[in-house]
Amino acid sequence: MEPIRVLIAKPGLDGHDRGALIIAQGLRDAGMEVIYTGLRQSPQQIAQAAIQEDVDVVGLSSLSGAHKTLFPKVVEALEANDASDIPVIGGGVIPTEDIPYLEEKGVRKIFTSGTAMAETAMFIKELVHGGEATPPKRISHIGIAVQHLEEVLPFYQHTLGLPLETVETVEKEKVKVAFFPVGDTRIELLEPLDEESPIQKFIDSKGQGIHHVALDVEDIEKRIAHMKDKGIRMIHDTPQQGAHDSRIAFLHPKSGHGVLYELCEQEKERS
Amino acid sequence: MNRSYNEEKRKWDENVEKTLQKFPERKTSFTTSSGIPIKRLYEPEQGDKRYIDEIGFPGAYPYTRGIQPTMYRSRHWTMRQYAGFGSAKETNERFKYLLKQGQTGLSVAFDLPTQIGYDSDDPMAEGEVGKVGVAIDTLEDMEQLFDQIPLDQVSTSMTINAPASILLAMYIAVGEKQGVAKEKLTGTIQNDILKEYIARGTYIFPPEPSMRIITDIFSYCQENLPKFNTISISGYHIREAGATAVQEVAFTIANGIAYVDAALAAGLEVDQFAPRLAFFFNAHNQFFEEAAKYRAARRMWARIMKETYNAQNPKSWKMRFHTQTGGSTLTAQQPDNNIVRVTVQALAAILGGTQSLHTNSRDEALALPTEDSARIALRTQQILAHESGVSETVDPLAGSYYVESLTDEIEKQANEYLDKINDLGGAVKAVEAGFMQREIHQTAYDTQKDIEKNEEIIVGVNEFTIDEEVEPELLRVDEELEKNQIQSTRKARETRDEKRVTAVLQELEQAASSNENLMNVIVEAVKEYATVGEIANVLRQEFGEYTAM
Repeated sequence: MEPIRVLIAKPGLDGHDRGALIIAQGLRDAGMEVIYTGLRQSPQQIAQAAIQEDVDVVGLSSLSGAHKTLFPKVVEALEANDASDIPVIGGGVIPTEDIPYLEEKGVRKIFTSGTAMAETAMFIKELVHGGEATPPKRISHIGIAVQHLEEVLPFYQHTLGLPLETVETVEKEKVKVAFFPVGDTRIELLEPLDEESPIQKFIDSKGQGIHHVALDVEDIEKRIAHMKDKGIRMIHDTPQQGAHDSRIAFLHPKSGHGVLYELCEQEKERS
Repeated sequence: MNRSYNEEKRKWDENVEKTLQKFPERKTSFTTSSGIPIKRLYEPEQGDKRYIDEIGFPGAYPYTRGIQPTMYRSRHWTMRQYAGFGSAKETNERFKYLLKQGQTGLSVAFDLPTQIGYDSDDPMAEGEVGKVGVAIDTLEDMEQLFDQIPLDQVSTSMTINAPASILLAMYIAVGEKQGVAKEKLTGTIQNDILKEYIARGTYIFPPEPSMRIITDIFSYCQENLPKFNTISISGYHIREAGATAVQEVAFTIANGIAYVDAALAAGLEVDQFAPRLAFFFNAHNQFFEEAAKYRAARRMWARIMKETYNAQNPKSWKMRFHTQTGGSTLTAQQPDNNIVRVTVQALAAILGGTQSLHTNSRDEALALPTEDSARIALRTQQILAHESGVSETVDPLAGSYYVESLTDEIEKQANEYLDKINDLGGAVKAVEAGFMQREIHQTAYDTQKDIEKNEEIIVGVNEFTIDEEVEPELLRVDEELEKNQIQSTRKARETRDEKRVTAVLQELEQAASSNENLMNVIVEAVKEYATVGEIANVLRQEFGEYTAM
């Protein structure tokens, strides 16, 4: 795996860089590549450096009390340069009561005085790698939109020769679902329950056919957070109840380059 | 007892007599709670040559026991709390409050734009105006800062470095407006640029022109402000950046040597400027090492000035210093514990013979101190001065096997550093090469690792922790302040005589490009209400800007 790249930056005029230097070396010792900007960097300069150096995370340090002005400006500058996927974290002399404001402005985490270097390193690793630590194991299923299950069942059962596992109704999603196991994956036929069903809308605009691809993942919450880190639009920000006691979340097809992907965590695999 | 011991003792007695005429002792008799009389000085039973050479009598070379013969028996150290935030008006109110509480000297904290020579409306100043100190743009702000504070009755310490010449010029101009002659002004400007490159970061110009500005100030003050300390050579920030006690002493003295060399190279006489050099040290938690550190530093400086520079005036040998307790030792966790840390540190500084002291407030790891916290910090000093009895005799730690041994060892190790720095071509060259910066960083990193491995215990951080919601009352700087300061500065620019400002700035440019002393023209410029930023910009164009490696 490529080492994590971190930009440690001192925004504003503050000259106290003991903390910044220590954290830089601590992260290096934790196996990361660290670039330190030096003193007196404007938010714009920091964003530029983050992009040029292609870093995974930006760490800001301020002890002068200017954090409420400068930290959000770094987040904004990254956004303005299409680099909002680079998360920003911060530290220094920061009153506890300012932390919610900074988080609301898009700073991912504030580490106050007394935080161990190891704790910061751990947070960065999770932030950057998130669910990538264990890649999706398999395709859980391929979802196919059909207008009437009854009409297509013979094709799957007799022509393709697939065994029908179960037929379930998922009221919440307004679909009736039929499962056909194929090796360790499945084909999932989806029939809309009514006009309001998303499947009906799909059929109305695109016709019958492949609707989505579901990836089997572990720790779906972390996955969702990780997707959002990377700037992915999610249809579900939190896991939803899916068929077979699974928990699922859909990515927006625009973020999936035209494919509707589903993250799917099976009950039995959850620890 | 040998003859030289008796001779030195006799000199000390004479010295005491002279001192008492000017500074009588605080009480007619000093006793313990049990009525045991406390002598002015306790001496070895067998005074020998080693005592005279290494320790000596207080107020006598090599000043290990202090620079005055009676020390705190006559006068306590000056209690000088660093303060400043927001606008000049607010800081003026805090100053008047502190003076009313019994504080005996002022200490001004400037905001970062002022310290780096930017006006409040400069884009670089955004978010920083009034945050870590008071914002000063024009003489008008300085007038407001000292409103109703007669400058002939206070001594003022200003933490200002790269633009020290400008703020000193403003102080002179305020004095003039109050009818106080320059000669009567007392105080200190920090003016120590080398430690800015090493540890504190508020540099503007490269080292060479910076050293020239400093020697210009030395020379100007020698003639015009004879009672003003022209520099406060600071180990404080070096220590805060992570240095050990030995590194603090070594690098501070190395910088001191560089200033002496620069002044000599500029044609000044050592005994003319050396008596106005002051020092500034930190006080951390390791009590005995800290107390020994001050004693070692004092002895080293005396020896260097007498033996290396051949200074004749004893005032040139005396290291006078201010101490501040260690900000980096304070914890955000269980902040009230910091009051205890500050007490231990302050005690070490007092037993080390400091001339003035700032005690930190308990909430400084969280934000700027509130008025309550600042008062407790001052009260801590007052309790030590008036209740603890530690100031009833001079240098009570002298003769302790441990403390004298630590004093010797710190001097020895610091001298090894001085040799190394000398080999690198002196402090300026060592700074440019990043030598001190690297040494300090390595110490800082090792310390942090020890803390994380629990090899060093920080109470409330890695041991004895509690679940706490840290929500003490904190001082907030009003967010409107930046706007208001910008407005008033713009207004000040509109109401001044622009032609005269342009003319005096041109004069400054010429002075900067020649060898002329910059101080005279800077004083003229501030009187015309030229701003800190405008003056600094003229010098930036002439001298360039420093960028760290």
